[in-house]
Amino acid sequence: MKGSSFTYLIKEGARNIWVNRMMSLASIGILVSCMLLIGSAILLSINLNGMISYVENQNEMVAFLEDDADDTMVSEVKAALDKNSNIDSFSFVSREEALERYSEIVPESLLENLEQDKDEVFPLSFRITLKDLSLINETTAQIESIPGVMQVNAPTNVAETVTGIKRAVYLCGSGIVIILLAVTLIIIANTIKVTVFNRRKEINIMKFVGATDLFIRMPFVVEGILLGVISACMAYLLLWGGYTYLMGHVQAQASTALSAFLKNMVPFSKVAKQLLASFAVGGVAVGVFGSMIFVRKHLRV
Amino acid sequence: MIRFSNVSKTYDNGTEALKNVDLEIADGEFVFVVGSSGAGKSTLIKLLLREEIPSSGTIEVNGYTVNRLKRRQIPVFRRSLGVVFQDFRLIPTMNVYDNVAFALRVTNVSTRDIRRRVPYILSLVGLASKARCKMNELSGGEQQRVALARALVNNPKLIIADEPTGNIDPELSYEIVDLLNEINKVGTTVVMVTHEHDLVAQFNHRVITIDNGSVVRDDADWGQR
Repeated sequence: MKGSSFTYLIKEGARNIWVNRMMSLASIGILVSCMLLIGSAILLSINLNGMISYVENQNEMVAFLEDDADDTMVSEVKAALDKNSNIDSFSFVSREEALERYSEIVPESLLENLEQDKDEVFPLSFRITLKDLSLINETTAQIESIPGVMQVNAPTNVAETVTGIKRAVYLCGSGIVIILLAVTLIIIANTIKVTVFNRRKEINIMKFVGATDLFIRMPFVVEGILLGVISACMAYLLLWGGYTYLMGHVQAQASTALSAFLKNMVPFSKVAKQLLASFAVGGVAVGVFGSMIFVRKHLRV
Repeated sequence: MIRFSNVSKTYDNGTEALKNVDLEIADGEFVFVVGSSGAGKSTLIKLLLREEIPSSGTIEVNGYTVNRLKRRQIPVFRRSLGVVFQDFRLIPTMNVYDNVAFALRVTNVSTRDIRRRVPYILSLVGLASKARCKMNELSGGEQQRVALARALVNNPKLIIADEPTGNIDPELSYEIVDLLNEINKVGTTVVMVTHEHDLVAQFNHRVITIDNGSVVRDDADWGQR
């Protein structure tokens, strides 16, 4: 293909958008709406996940060491905890620290009646947070088997609930995104079908003056790319504006109980690149393949 | 040259459109193909353009065996002929100039050559002053002349005109056929399908009559009788 033909085909694609501007506008509107819906569903599930992770991080388990544990044993347990891949973080709690914490919640008088030395009452312990709460039972067993560990207190009930919610959010989120994707593809396929059908006469004429299939397809493909990119940029900007506004509004209005959750809302900048990239790739791919498939039908002349 | 050797065409629904047609049209001839509706004229044109392939027999056009063309060879074959349709088949969103230039762009002709060739062809069909007009600003006769200019711009050896006067006023019909006549005088073969016998009678050309899928008459100079 000559350079002049190539430039002509690119120009022709851009011209077609303007010439068929009502149809182009409809295509952009549909693409933008679909991308907005999918983008919102993704943002919602990312945020729900973030909030659940926040709850997860609030759940600690405590591993108590044997009464006679000495410094060597403490460092051995520490080393064993370091090796466990499901442990996110842990901190050592000395007898004094444990007493301090306990005295905050228990009346002084109760402690005074103790027969033992107050500093000796509480065992040494480790406060542990996990990476994956769903593996809490396995991890508890592993920690309990470390020599020197007397007992592990783990919030297994909470863990099960949180894991259940997380799974439900993941399944619902993926389900919604898949359904939206399917609906989007059907709507877009029909839009392209109508666009191509409206111009079947043009395609027919091209065939009779001796245009190759590639020559006929190119302007449609260019058009598909341009419409995809325009829609992706518009959807991205709208989602950015909407999300940033909503985040500011929600965080300002939230009650104190909720504010801890909402502070964990994912900032748009964190997902911006991936969203823009997937919108652009999705938009262009739908435009190009859609045109290719539906133009093909009219090329058999 | 066009040669139909024992060509038959039966459509999927069982309709026998052409039956054992043998036909030869030499280079530089002007031929009218006449017949009533449903006689098989349209099928003949479709076979000539490789829009359809025959059920049996061979068709040769401009040195190509049309029924054996591979898909990728079809565009090259079609560039060797010019086609004019009853419904003009012009692109309404393009102006006169672009509608004609379009046929050259398709064949990779350089912009410089397009700028030279299109105005010349437009002046040949008497539309030089309307180059920038849109299709809805033109009369039926003018639109058909644009279609004719588009068919001519590639300098084809053969022009196929499928009822080119079917959608225009009778007084303008003569003008169009006369234009085809002039084109024929410089050596281009012209095959024109029509059902307007009066028009055919005004010109001294070979007339092939098709009826019920068969060639029933082939008169060398029907117009002179």
